Amino acid sequence: MSGVRRWMGGGALALGMTLALGWLSQVPYDAAGDAESMVRLAWRTRGTRVEECRRLTREELERLPVHMRRDEVCEGRTLPYRLVVVLDGQTAVDEDVYPSGARADRPLYVYRELPLRPGWHDLDIAFTRAPVARDTARGAEGERLARGDAAAPRRLTLTRRVRLGPDEIVLVTYDAEERRLTLKGPGAP
Amino acid sequence: MNRFVRRLLAPADALLNRWYGWRFNPLYHSGALVVLTFVLLLVTGLYLVFFYRLGSPHASIVRITDQVWLGRWIRSLHRYASDAAVVAAAIHAVRMFAQGRSWGPRALAWVSGLVLVGLVLVLGWTGYVMVWDVQGIVLAREGARLLDALPLFSEPISRAFVGERDLPSAFFFLNLFLHVALPVGLGALLWLHVSRVARPGLLPPRGLLWATTGILLALSVLWPAPAGTPADLFRLPSRAPYDAFYAFWLPLTQGLPAVVVWVGVGFAGAIALLAPWWSRPRPAERRAPSVVNQRLCTGCEQCYLDCPYEAIAMVDRADGRAGLVARVDPALCVSCGICAGSCAPMGVGPPGRTGRDQLSRIREFVAARAPAGDDVVVVACTHGAGGVARDPTFDGAAVLPVDCAGSLHTSVVEYLVRSGAGGVLIVACPPRDCQNREGPKWLEQRLYHEREAELKDRVDRRRVRLVSAGLAEMGTVAAELERMRRDVAALGWAQRETDIALDAECDLEEVRP
Repeated sequence: MSGVRRWMGGGALALGMTLALGWLSQVPYDAAGDAESMVRLAWRTRGTRVEECRRLTREELERLPVHMRRDEVCEGRTLPYRLVVVLDGQTAVDEDVYPSGARADRPLYVYRELPLRPGWHDLDIAFTRAPVARDTARGAEGERLARGDAAAPRRLTLTRRVRLGPDEIVLVTYDAEERRLTLKGPGAP
Repeated sequence: MNRFVRRLLAPADALLNRWYGWRFNPLYHSGALVVLTFVLLLVTGLYLVFFYRLGSPHASIVRITDQVWLGRWIRSLHRYASDAAVVAAAIHAVRMFAQGRSWGPRALAWVSGLVLVGLVLVLGWTGYVMVWDVQGIVLAREGARLLDALPLFSEPISRAFVGERDLPSAFFFLNLFLHVALPVGLGALLWLHVSRVARPGLLPPRGLLWATTGILLALSVLWPAPAGTPADLFRLPSRAPYDAFYAFWLPLTQGLPAVVVWVGVGFAGAIALLAPWWSRPRPAERRAPSVVNQRLCTGCEQCYLDCPYEAIAMVDRADGRAGLVARVDPALCVSCGICAGSCAPMGVGPPGRTGRDQLSRIREFVAARAPAGDDVVVVACTHGAGGVARDPTFDGAAVLPVDCAGSLHTSVVEYLVRSGAGGVLIVACPPRDCQNREGPKWLEQRLYHEREAELKDRVDRRRVRLVSAGLAEMGTVAAELERMRRDVAALGWAQRETDIALDAECDLEEVRP
């Protein structure tokens, strides 16, 4: 093979590989897919903890070391919430939100993304705690609300009309200080 | 499986050998090119880190990109070098698999290589998140979504990117820390990766080194990498440029549940890890490690010096004689046979392939084929050499196959010439593509530069020729054979000796039984 042909072949390959490297380094891609705008629901809140308590018998107490003797022992769980989102009159989300963690004793996390077309939309959100028999709290037995629990309110709601521009995201989140759902983002009223 | 891949690679090797020559064939230097890009990344990264601001990551990247004379191309070089690293690493992995250099004592290099590739991809991920443009936020969100599926964090890290609050500088600090700290781990892994080879070729030859650097530099100057639109937590990621080398997985994972993605990653990782195991040689094909005949070993250390895998150590003799004796570590020996070619007394080598075994075979070969005084005998490596070792003859010439050119003992060449063959054409693989790393290099030194076990002066060098040819370069062998036939014809009929006792000659007085 002549020197000129070698140079031309080698040069063309090097140029081609270089251009391919440059192009592949910046390939156009649309990560949003078909979504044009979006309502994002994202918040974290402490769930309501309920406990079932009972008094230990004398025999049980005597089996325990002195420093561990307590009259009452409680076992608890954190209540789930129900999330219902109605968008423009249609139910978009209707699901239970359970506490996180292996023992389901960690906070509740909500994270949902609802793609929408740009424009005005009616948003109706309800985040409601599972019912608990409050009247059992006075008794020595049966489930009751844990003392000093700083959980979210029993029911959180948000009803708004929002305007979404192209590619805009409106965030619905929980304001722990105000103890209510709020909107954030450019489309928030 | 690996033979099939090797056949696919062979034409590409041949084409690039034709255009660049085997010395500068980038396919043969893929591993060294990864290290070169690593060096480029370190140098350019050091510059960039001075201008990067944790409080305003994207703005600082834009400021760097606006430095037309320096920052723009340095950042682009950083990016393109990282892309080239992925390409070179992929080629390197495929080559090592195709050549079966990923099994047995080489498994450590294979496993550490896979971890290195994974680390490079994670490094790229942190690098693009640092830029904090559209690609950065998409990579961060998708990465966080996948990580949240693992029981690693007490709270989902995806929450950081939903827009409840501004991203803290701590996030960018952690990311920068990883981007700077991971290369340290990369360096340590690289050391582990090459720890079982002697004299690792960490950088490509100078010509290829400067050519690669120059090409990446030219690309950086002429086609600088874009800074991208800044990340916005309240906007959907619009169409933007993505680096396919580091974000190739996004289209695959975005629509899938995180658990499915992790199962897929685990499956792909397991296949990559186990591929060499599946394609390993059958037990009957596996080569036994070299052994040392202590009676013959003179303690000269040549096999210890030549072993490409540091599998030979020199230890004190236990047979009452003074000095050292070679000892092979079977766990490190890949049975390449290079030690067989290095041992003048022919006392070391894999069972059945020592210098003495080779001499026995060549006696039978000469007796059976009886090469005439104007015949050229082709001695060809079975791994490459234009594939001519597959048949007993090539273009009318008798072919003697050898496992590796480096394992060929020079006594075999001497025997062929003295037994009356007109010429001996030794066809080795291109030196940087040797199955056993250094076979052709040592053979060339033994033939022409007096390296032990050297070809004796009494052998007419005009009747011996060494040529390199890849697996698909049969034409090169044919052309060289034709040329040598002409040269041998010009030399006249070769003289034949009948009583050639090279192995007895190699026995030292003091070790003769």
